[in-house]
Amino acid sequence: MTSAKASPAPLGGGPPAGHVPIRGRGLLTLLLLGALTWSLTTVPWGEPLVHPGGLTVLGEMLVAALHPTVSAEFLGIALAASWRTVAYATAGVSLAILLAFPAGVLASGVLVRHPVLRALTSGASRALLGVLRAIHELVWALLFVAAIGLSPFAAVLALALPYAGILGRILAEILEDVPPGPLAALRAAGAREWQVLLYGRLPQAFPNMVSYALYRYECGIRSATIMSFVGLGGLGYQIQISLDDLRFREVWTFVYCLVVLVVLVDLWSGVIRRRLLA
Amino acid sequence: MSANPLKVEARGDRLALDAGRTPVASSEPGLPQRSLALRASGWLLVALVVASWVFVVSEPSAHVGDLISRETLDHGRDFLQQLAGVGEARPAYRDPGQWRQAARLAYRTLAMSVLAIGFATIGTLLTVMAGARPVLDEGRPWPRTLLFGLTRAAWIFSRAVPELVWALLIIFVFSPGILAGALALGLHNFGVLGRLCAEVVENLDRRPIRAVRSAGAGRGQTLLYAVLPSALPAFLTFVLYRWEVVIRTTIVVGFVSAAGLGREFRLALSFFHYSDVTLLVLVYVLLVFAVDATSVGLRRLAR
Repeated sequence: MTSAKASPAPLGGGPPAGHVPIRGRGLLTLLLLGALTWSLTTVPWGEPLVHPGGLTVLGEMLVAALHPTVSAEFLGIALAASWRTVAYATAGVSLAILLAFPAGVLASGVLVRHPVLRALTSGASRALLGVLRAIHELVWALLFVAAIGLSPFAAVLALALPYAGILGRILAEILEDVPPGPLAALRAAGAREWQVLLYGRLPQAFPNMVSYALYRYECGIRSATIMSFVGLGGLGYQIQISLDDLRFREVWTFVYCLVVLVVLVDLWSGVIRRRLLA
Repeated sequence: MSANPLKVEARGDRLALDAGRTPVASSEPGLPQRSLALRASGWLLVALVVASWVFVVSEPSAHVGDLISRETLDHGRDFLQQLAGVGEARPAYRDPGQWRQAARLAYRTLAMSVLAIGFATIGTLLTVMAGARPVLDEGRPWPRTLLFGLTRAAWIFSRAVPELVWALLIIFVFSPGILAGALALGLHNFGVLGRLCAEVVENLDRRPIRAVRSAGAGRGQTLLYAVLPSALPAFLTFVLYRWEVVIRTTIVVGFVSAAGLGREFRLALSFFHYSDVTLLVLVYVLLVFAVDATSVGLRRLAR
């Protein structure tokens, strides 16, 4: 397992212990502890925090976790709900990539030579990406459902906008960070900026970008699940229905489906990343 | 610009890639196989995207035509006008009283986010050594292997379930409020932080650890004097980065845990008080930006 050390030292993990400035860290630790204490004081500890029958329900839930519903008919429902969730996530993230690409390239400012123009285009697209990503996907979903009604497009768009914000920003950063050597070689050969982008920056950025997009895809599955809150179908919707009827055993079946989905995507993207970045 | 949240996330991700990679993978004979797996994955992705779009478009409630029809456009325009408070004598965002109330909600939302990240951090610190591959170069008795497996499973499970679903389950047990919301957010982030921090520990420089160890330190002492000092800056960075994610999510957890901005946002939408919605979204975005800026500042201290 020594190979792990060969990777570029991540964050603060690299420098030896003695070289880390203790003062800033000590201050930060104190600040964080203080913040935690403050947040604890905002909880109304005097009022009953657990429902009267809360602990009984908790017991029921835990027992049900060991006995999820597994009848064939029910598994069919679970499978259909899982597919719907995957479909929303896939459609949403793929649209997000389409949107993120031009915005990210503009935000990185690599296409524009003129400093003022570059500051303008890059600043504007960065601000746009910032707003897209500041608003949670479910808030987008509520707004879209209010605007265009209960349609799967509301889910797809609600997923696509914030994800485009995140992916676009990451793309911009990856494009800025590519090793400059090959780019200089292209320029010396007479390439224009768009050619440098096409043949120099993008190929170098590709593995990292794919790796990050796959990670966001995993998050997208979780986000697609909670689209149920605005009335759109999928695993979350089924979880809500079963919860409303207090059928905890069914709830766990759906939760396990979700866990399996996320783990599968995680494993798959792990395989792709390892091969791309090896 | 190294101190921005998304980069940390990307790096945290890259950290994940390095963990558990075997040196054998880079040997030459593996090449053709590799490209086959990649090509298969590529085609699978394309198939998945096509199938998903076909599915989405063919759903009965999806009317592609409606999306750009006259009616939808009118409806969308009305909606935007209502958000802007057109025709209202005094839209919510021009009313100081409403702003004060929204600020109070933002304060509670902030408290919920701090409490949530606090829970997640405490849980992570308690489990991180059990869930990290061993750094002490020692044998692994079976109880430790069992503990390792259990911790990893717990992380995966709590990470795979979204905050909102945790919140739905938790309000069956806890009364709605800050605590319930913070627990839901904390549970999800416990899994995320656990994984990120375990990778930090696994990628640590082993030399200081071995030095402390060979000087005769026990397990606990090694942890305290060798592992924690070098891992803490990265831990803190991840904690702060997750805090930025948490503040974005507090609003939706507030929908069900009935706390902070989320609850009012949901109510305002249900009652069609659209200019209130505008105000709440404004305050929410301001809160998110303020937390981002604070986190960037604090992260400088961590380094």
